Amino acid sequence: MANTPWAQILLFSIQTGSVYLLSAVALTLTYGLSKFPNFAHAEFMTLGAYTGFFIANLLHLPLPLTVLVCILCAFLVSGSLGLMSYKIIFGPLLRRGSSLIHLMIGSMALGFIIRYVIIEIWPGGTQSFTLPWPEASNIGPFRIYIPWILPIAAALVAGVSMQLLLTRTNIGRAIRATASNPQLAMASGINTGRVLLTTWFLSAGLAGMAGLFIGMKASFSPTMGWNILLSVFAVTVLGGIGSFYGAIAAAFIIGLAENVGVVILAQFGLASDYRTAISFVILIVVLLIKPEGLTRLFKGN
Amino acid sequence: MAPIFASVDVRAGYSDIVIVDGVSLEVEAGEIVAIVGPNGSGKSTLLKSFFGFAQFLSGKMFYKGEDITGRPADKMISSGIGYIPQTNNVFANLTITENLQMGAYTRSDRSQIATEIEGIFEIFHELKHRAKSFAGTLSGGERQMLAIARAMMGKPSVLMLDEPLASLSPKSVEGILDKLTLVRQSGTALVMIEQNVKRALSFANRAYILVEGKCIMQGPAGELLNDEQAKKRYLGLGT
Ligand SMILES: Nc1ncnc2c1ncn2[C@@H]1O[C@H](COP(=O)(O)OP(=O)(O)OP(=O)(O)O)[C@@H](O)[C@H]1O
Ligand SMILES: [Mg+2]
Repeated sequence: MANTPWAQILLFSIQTGSVYLLSAVALTLTYGLSKFPNFAHAEFMTLGAYTGFFIANLLHLPLPLTVLVCILCAFLVSGSLGLMSYKIIFGPLLRRGSSLIHLMIGSMALGFIIRYVIIEIWPGGTQSFTLPWPEASNIGPFRIYIPWILPIAAALVAGVSMQLLLTRTNIGRAIRATASNPQLAMASGINTGRVLLTTWFLSAGLAGMAGLFIGMKASFSPTMGWNILLSVFAVTVLGGIGSFYGAIAAAFIIGLAENVGVVILAQFGLASDYRTAISFVILIVVLLIKPEGLTRLFKGN
Repeated sequence: MAPIFASVDVRAGYSDIVIVDGVSLEVEAGEIVAIVGPNGSGKSTLLKSFFGFAQFLSGKMFYKGEDITGRPADKMISSGIGYIPQTNNVFANLTITENLQMGAYTRSDRSQIATEIEGIFEIFHELKHRAKSFAGTLSGGERQMLAIARAMMGKPSVLMLDEPLASLSPKSVEGILDKLTLVRQSGTALVMIEQNVKRALSFANRAYILVEGKCIMQGPAGELLNDEQAKKRYLGLGT
């Protein structure tokens, strides 16, 4: 890794950033409405990877079709779990006026439960996809491999779709209205209960997609989501919670920092396992000096 | 004719603390009803309880003769009862146009909405050139206008307003009252809470005086305004 060409590091940074962006946008969606950081988001990602893995082994279709079905299933399975966890756990807790701490710990507990259920269903630790990807090839200074490019394209499509959904559709506007002022949303006749269910479904579904892409490019394990959750939090904090353009900038900054950081770490003979430590440092620094993140730089959000 | 909206013996409050103690209210189609009373007398709590934003402890509510007790807020709105809270009454993070679209959220005649927003801008022309601005950037008076405009997009038969004139400049008050007159002319009945008794009683057809959660007087606004006892004891309008 130490002598990876810089063009390739840039590509990896964009790829890492894209996955983080997908996951961070999803995390902010539930945060905006339910006002607590959902730690089970990590396991919604992990579940996406395992769902895709299960489907990929089950199907014998042409590659593009398999990938498409995997994405769809990862979205639907994680999304449904998100919807149910709101309906059964977080909704009732919120209605009871539970504190932030209770909700956070509740979400951690749920995350653990999902993780151990995943371990029960797929024992044996690390797994990897065995999809017949075309060989990696060189295009200009870049080495291109489909699983590296896929998340970038998906983040682009998902990001644009989310933005269109939130600004151009009635349900999207209702989501923003409910985040902005829940009581007035009800007083405008919006069924806020249904809006919340929708956002939990969307959020967990997007997390599942992000998880699937991480799983597809390398191996993955039941702690996959948990291991990158901190980076995702770092993106939301740096981006300024709820700011779309802030999140884009933050995702690529964190992606770049981690990928460049890994190269630097290697120079000092340190393992690449320290890569999350880099986002951890950025997270702490941002919280200390600029807790509002990058939002100020992006007006009109 | 049956009143368009009525509450019967409503008790309401917060976590089982009774704030409103047995208030009955009647609103005829197309009239303006004022609710007046000192600070903390439970005026806001009464309106909130109709929509479940404060605890509705006991009593009944009727709309066009139908018992609607316990109907959830979004269903109340879609049946035609509009509500504008005292504070936070616009979606600050949505544009003005989006605020208006949210007001029409429950309506099924989606294709009409764009034309109607144009119509609303005819009446609330102060908002038109700000259509794409975020509501959070509006002044107090403009916000209040937007709040009324948003509520009107739902085509309510009764609109309940919690102190729409509070902390506005005299000029803005004029402006809002003009709009409310237009709203009323369109056939919508108004129930409005108002601190300024004189202003309330000269604008409304009838009024209810609330003191410590109880309705201690009610009647045609003109009569209350001339009632010496009401003036002295409850309205702070010493002669
Ligand atoms: N969310 C709440 N929880 C508990 N008590 C509340 C709450 N909101 C209001 N109260 C209490 O209820 C009482 C009545 O308040 P309310 O807002 O209904 O009065 P009001 O007549 O609207 O007064 P104002 O003219 O100042 O708006 C007050 O004593 C207030 O402290
Ligand atoms: Mg009040």
